[in-house]
Amino acid sequence: MKRIGLLAKWIFCLSLFVVLPLSPMVAGAEPQGDVVIFHAGSLTVPFAKMEKVFEAKYPKVDILREAGGSTKMARMISELNKPADIMASADYKVIDKALIPAKAAWNIRFATNQLVLCYTDKSKFASEVNADNWYDILERKGVIWGHSDPNLDPCGYRSLMVLQLAEKHYAKAGLYDRLIANRPKKNIRPKSVELVSLLKTGNMDYAWEYLSVAVQHGLKYLLLPDEINLGNYKMDAFYKKAEVKVTGKKPGTWITRKGKSCTYGITMIKNSKNPEAAEAFLAYLLDPEGGLKVLKDMGQPPFIPCRVSSEKIKTDLPGSIKGLVEVKN
Amino acid sequence: MNPFFSARGYYKENKLNVYGMKKKIGKDPWFFITLFCSVTVVTFILFPLIEMVTQPSLQDLKDTAGDTDVLRSIWLSIYTSGLAAVISFIIGTPFAYLLARKNFFGKKVVESIIDLPIMIPHPVVGIAILGLAGKNHWLGQFMQSIGIHIMGTVTGIVTVLTFVGLPFYVNTVKTGFEAIPVRLENVSRSLGASMSGTFLRVTFPLAWRSMLVGMIMCCARAISEFGAVVIVAYHPMIAPVMIYERFTAYGLRYSQPVAVWLIFVCLALFILLRIVSPVKEKSGD
Repeated sequence: MKRIGLLAKWIFCLSLFVVLPLSPMVAGAEPQGDVVIFHAGSLTVPFAKMEKVFEAKYPKVDILREAGGSTKMARMISELNKPADIMASADYKVIDKALIPAKAAWNIRFATNQLVLCYTDKSKFASEVNADNWYDILERKGVIWGHSDPNLDPCGYRSLMVLQLAEKHYAKAGLYDRLIANRPKKNIRPKSVELVSLLKTGNMDYAWEYLSVAVQHGLKYLLLPDEINLGNYKMDAFYKKAEVKVTGKKPGTWITRKGKSCTYGITMIKNSKNPEAAEAFLAYLLDPEGGLKVLKDMGQPPFIPCRVSSEKIKTDLPGSIKGLVEVKN
Repeated sequence: MNPFFSARGYYKENKLNVYGMKKKIGKDPWFFITLFCSVTVVTFILFPLIEMVTQPSLQDLKDTAGDTDVLRSIWLSIYTSGLAAVISFIIGTPFAYLLARKNFFGKKVVESIIDLPIMIPHPVVGIAILGLAGKNHWLGQFMQSIGIHIMGTVTGIVTVLTFVGLPFYVNTVKTGFEAIPVRLENVSRSLGASMSGTFLRVTFPLAWRSMLVGMIMCCARAISEFGAVVIVAYHPMIAPVMIYERFTAYGLRYSQPVAVWLIFVCLALFILLRIVSPVKEKSGD
């Protein structure tokens, strides 16, 4: 009798191993499984918060995020074929150029940002720096300032654009070259958020960052005029005057990036492994009361509602997202 | 007893070797287990490496060999890990000697401390060293005031590489010292030589081979370090950082050749070092 009882227990346990993995097929349309999101480093803090809220709402879903310079993350999808469901870029043009049409079909612009000069109270000349003399201070010998790698991160080439625009706006010829001369290569990091830890440990005095990152990490920052901070789309005609050369697809090839206001883009990757859950996350993110509110509270102004560039793209969007976007150029 | 009995004939007839053991071991399961495991281990190590070495085309390899950035980063890797090995030799040898010869209270704890850099995750090492070196720490302030900069400098890279390579040197050399009988040193001391004299003239000549092997181990560990160095110094780029940067920026095709050249250069160096250190004859003690 005892033996049969034991046998029955074993059969029951083994059958659980067979039945439970099959249950997702039976469970119904609730989103579940893994969702892999590649996103810009500057979106790390808001996306971490969104991940928590979304996973609380849909406990069967596991959001797996990987952050890095947007150019690098897009290349990982397009060149290395790394599996991802969603890509959120700090520069929507990266999605247009690297992912559409092979890896993505549409692009939604969902947030803006602007560049600021970050520092801490331990930085050199922290007490005298202001919006009028920052470019003099960055030129001084012994001041360690840096930005992220323009070849891997939009924040990198945007930082260089800010400097070029500053030269034109303040009418100081040669300012850009003098500033770059005071920025040795060791002050460049692949991801802009790495600069935050360098600032906080006192290894760097000044770093170019997005306003949202400065707010999220409690850094001191200098707000710059709209003409140079890449934050106001009405100034696009002036921003266009800045040009930065970044590496192309092969070593030795180059692409020219032109200045434009910081516009973040997001898309779903073609042949995603979990389109239902990915769509559910996008529906949450693009909701003015959901993800967009999280962005706003964390210092990053969203587009409410989000924008797509043509009516055709709007019709191509998945059902739950269509209503959240408007067509605007 | 048969006067024509010969031991040699007996051994030959029964297929025994000189120790009286059965020569033919073909059917013994241990033989097959050994053979199987040996082949598996060697294949496990060689297969991915052979794949990687044969994947790039000869043209890609040639182009990469001509790229000055690549050459510079490989050279930087070699000489920073060489420096780390030399520093380990200088400060690690007396410490290893102490561990080999003396038993003191808490010795086991100290030996575990020496093993810590091996088990700490590499980015943690980089973060820890960077935290010490910044202006927000008294040590960082002191170092910066005397002109020592860690972030993004060769000094920083060598510091990190020494940190991760030191345990390998100390453990190897400690074992080497332990293999030298204390008697020899005692004899030297009893004949009037000082501690320093004994070390230089008795211990060192017997232990230099294990020191060389220790330096090779330390150098090998240091050359492959990535996680800690990329935090402390992205530029100047050592070879592993360049391989990773090329992988993320351009893809496998442009990073593999750099990896192949690094492997070849390191292999050549280590084979050379092993050739230079002759095989130790059995000490017969």
